[in-house]
Amino acid sequence: MSDAADRNDAYEQKIANLSDENIHKALEVFREKVDHRTAAHLNSCVHCGLCAESCHYYLSTRETESLPAYKLNLLMSVFRKHFTLIGRLLPALNGAQPLDREMTREWIDALYGRCTLCGRCSLNCSIGLDVSRLIRIGRTALAAIDLVPPELQSTVLAALEKGNNMGIPKEEWLDTVAWLQEELAQEVGDPNAELPLDRQNANILYTVNPREPKFFPLSLLATAKIFHAARESWTLSSDYYDVTNYALFSGDDEIGGTLSGRLLTTAKKLGATTLVLGECGHGFNSNRWEAPDWLSTSYGLEVTSIIQVIADYIRQGRVSLDPSRVAEPVTLHDPCNLVRLGGIVEDQRFILRKAVSNFVEMTPNREKNYCCGGGGGQLSMTRYADRRLKAGRIKADQIKKTGAKIVVAPCHNCIDQLGELNREYKLGVQVKTVSEIVADALVIPKC
Amino acid sequence: MLQSVLPIAVVASLAVALVSLTILIARTLAFGRKPSYSRAQGSPGRGLLYAFGQGMMPWEKESAARHLPTFIAGIVYHAAIFGAIILLVVHLAPLTLSSAILRILRLVILAGLLSGLGLLVKRLAVAGMRAISCPDDFVANLLVDLFLAAAFAVTLLESTRPYFYIAAIVLFLYVPTGKIRHCFFFFYTRILFGIFFGRRGVLPHHHPEA
Repeated sequence: MSDAADRNDAYEQKIANLSDENIHKALEVFREKVDHRTAAHLNSCVHCGLCAESCHYYLSTRETESLPAYKLNLLMSVFRKHFTLIGRLLPALNGAQPLDREMTREWIDALYGRCTLCGRCSLNCSIGLDVSRLIRIGRTALAAIDLVPPELQSTVLAALEKGNNMGIPKEEWLDTVAWLQEELAQEVGDPNAELPLDRQNANILYTVNPREPKFFPLSLLATAKIFHAARESWTLSSDYYDVTNYALFSGDDEIGGTLSGRLLTTAKKLGATTLVLGECGHGFNSNRWEAPDWLSTSYGLEVTSIIQVIADYIRQGRVSLDPSRVAEPVTLHDPCNLVRLGGIVEDQRFILRKAVSNFVEMTPNREKNYCCGGGGGQLSMTRYADRRLKAGRIKADQIKKTGAKIVVAPCHNCIDQLGELNREYKLGVQVKTVSEIVADALVIPKC
Repeated sequence: MLQSVLPIAVVASLAVALVSLTILIARTLAFGRKPSYSRAQGSPGRGLLYAFGQGMMPWEKESAARHLPTFIAGIVYHAAIFGAIILLVVHLAPLTLSSAILRILRLVILAGLLSGLGLLVKRLAVAGMRAISCPDDFVANLLVDLFLAAAFAVTLLESTRPYFYIAAIVLFLYVPTGKIRHCFFFFYTRILFGIFFGRRGVLPHHHPEA
């Protein structure tokens, strides 16, 4: 039997062995996470079904189980049964159902396996229900009884135990930074060009997706080049530099707070005035919007995306770009956590209009753009890989229609998914980060 | 006897509905408030205006644009409900409506009734709709349709007034038990929607480069 099958069996076993105490604990956590806002949402769905086509899962397969209202209904039925009078008195009328083993199984399939927490259905809901937040609360209840799919949980635990989700040893990280520094010096023709580590009182503490040092070091080099050109005072941390936070996807607020808290503590220890989040959609949403609530604290320092920083450099004339260097048609993918849930909508467009000579928008775009299918922890949950690739067809079709040769995505999760879609749907495109495309167009000032 | 008791029963059932809905809102608020510690990027106020203005338009919401007949049927259905409630107030007050206004109300209520029945047929006929429906979805629709049918009848035949009152009583008593509670909760959740996306600077759209 394969490892994957073993893991699945162990997971199934866990579900089969759920005790009444487990169910009670899940319900307790569910209740604890519901505040008046989420309770209002859980009381309000009218089952109009208009949300159907806003979901890339439903659009690509037309499976009833992927309807946003269907997924939400699983949560609402449990909420009604356990936390409302009418649900207890008239369960049949309201479709109220208890949380039991079968319902738990359905929750896992729907909440982890058919949702990327992209929030597109929320924007399209007739009532305005925050479906992705409700689904995450369901995940939180499952996480409380150790029912996060093991592949996703191992990513969370790697970050918790090893300091970054790829488990990169410190020596490897330091070696990579040293190597990139040599490359940078060579590329910009300045022997003093550097990727500073643990510099005190720099303006910026820059955090990266560990996929950059592990698999895409040129992404980090591109950002370093931009910082160099802008003569920015910045630093990396030798210990905590991981911008990702997969606890956003697993639903574990406590671990989420611990991971984000490390970045905050590091920034404060180093005396940085701004915590700059690398190109990672969910990393942005976690650290910019969710973590202060997980930690019950206001950060007291600026938290911003590298996209906003680069846009400001261009506006302030701190970097100059030559768009003729990128002549091929370029399109832009909007990561859900950065755009629809993060509010960074225009800066990346401003940058691309300055950095490339032929920028083509997808349709729809901005906050209305489709999820690529890689969010919500789907990339790590290999058990749902087939669904993920099928759901990605919507994005692949969007890309094809633009005729672009380069797809820019300010998010490494999206980049991984887009890379897979590129192969699966034979798109024949290059996929790049915003920093990479800016670095391509960057006019390096002579020393 | 019935003629004098029914209006009182209508008012009493409406009071029951309003008190129950108020209790429901209070119970929802009792779930507590979790403060937001992150620094706002946009304006919750502008988000709120968007939620109740531009954000309600079908061209703003792909879900509405893709399902225009359903969206329009929903609008007409709700307009008819308001129309029927106005008619109920007119009968209870009692007030007199001009024949022109009465004709308009009759038309709106009839259109709403047909829309409601159409939505019911859609819920029965489409597999996906059946899958997300519970008995309340059908009962609520039927009770509202009954109320609209009685309202329509009373615009034609004054003698049907007791049936109009009875339909109203049943509907009002049913309101707190099921989905019709969205007559209150719609505003609650729409406010939350506006504040959330407004605070994060996602809505309303801000396209400085355009």
